[in-house]
Amino acid sequence: MNAVLQASAESMEAPLQVRGLAHQYGGQPVLAGVDLTLQPGSVLGLIGRNGAGKSTLIRAMLGLLQPQAGECRVFGEAALQLSDRAKVRLAYVPQQPEALAWLTSQQMLDYVGRFYPQWDAAFARTMLRDWDILPNKLLGKLSPGERQRVDLIRALASQPELLVLDEPAAALDPVARRDLLREIALRAGEAGTTVLFSTHIVSDLERVASEIAFLHEGKLLLHCGVDESKERFARLWLPAAMSAAAPGRTLGRRRHADGSLSLVIERDASGQWPEAVNLPGARLDALGLEDLFVEIAG
Amino acid sequence: MDASIFAIQPTSAEPIYRQIVEQLRRLIAGGQLSPGELLPSVREVAGFHAVNPMTVSRAYGIAESEGLLERLRGKGMAIAAGAGRASTPAQRLALLEPQLADVARQARELELPAESVLRRLGKLMGER
Repeated sequence: MNAVLQASAESMEAPLQVRGLAHQYGGQPVLAGVDLTLQPGSVLGLIGRNGAGKSTLIRAMLGLLQPQAGECRVFGEAALQLSDRAKVRLAYVPQQPEALAWLTSQQMLDYVGRFYPQWDAAFARTMLRDWDILPNKLLGKLSPGERQRVDLIRALASQPELLVLDEPAAALDPVARRDLLREIALRAGEAGTTVLFSTHIVSDLERVASEIAFLHEGKLLLHCGVDESKERFARLWLPAAMSAAAPGRTLGRRRHADGSLSLVIERDASGQWPEAVNLPGARLDALGLEDLFVEIAG
Repeated sequence: MDASIFAIQPTSAEPIYRQIVEQLRRLIAGGQLSPGELLPSVREVAGFHAVNPMTVSRAYGIAESEGLLERLRGKGMAIAAGAGRASTPAQRLALLEPQLADVARQARELELPAESVLRRLGKLMGER
């Protein structure tokens, strides 16, 4: 195969793909059959409650953890045996970075930068200043938030094709968080960077994600476009007297103390809501992402 | 005009691309934006608001297909020549329909008579 053909075949590979992923800790299932494919240039926001298994899913996807069942591929390669060529194209920021703690921020960035052909040293310098990191302080002496900021800079400066961030927002104040979101959004839109980030701050995800996935009880409940999630789902409230006429199968269902009912309903293929929306006293509420998540996972 | 012309609320139940299209529609119908005016680029809007550029280009694309915007070669998107001119008060009022329906529903829930709501609305509009 000539170089051009090979390059185009590579770019067609899904940056991340998992099938039938299952894992448990001490007999407690964390992932119970997850299938997920990330297309190049997409920004996937992964939401889930604390302990839902987001970090486990991310680590397994990248080959940092051997799952009990399932297949994980990164740029088409088996995640557990990634080649250096694939590793150079990806950057991952864990929730609590610990590596290279005996180096200063500047030393670490200089050292790591040598492994990446696309390393942007000027960007790293600017970001250290913008995010108030002392370049000559040992990584081990930084606060957890500062430590994660340095790692985010490290990840972005390598100009990866695939960027994976585990709860990046936790370490950032609102201004720095907005900087990060801007970087993610512009890189996805212009350089075609594929991004996966987990978060519990839903508004971050609504800004930059092109798609969302809810991880709940070990499964992906919903994986769709952000806009689609807002247009396809709504909450239907039915008064107690009408609750017997409620549609049978719905994504979320809560019965309130007075017998009234809240349901998450979905448009059918032709864009119509279920007939129950016309019942006397029925009320249809549009749902933001956070409300949708609470209705489904709450 | 720059990217601050749009007010984007990511947490709203209305998708961001539709917020942009609706705001363009209102600004054009109301005459704040006139034909020929250049819009901020997709990159400027995406960068300013930290939103996905694909969302902004989707919004611009829809507005273009509805005849609100036109693509000027080498310059970017501009308010379309025919946009806004034909809008009558009735057409402009139609743009407020969703918000009015919402107010009407809430006023009924609060058991407020229409006239007191209208009086208050008139006052709010007069204050500007």
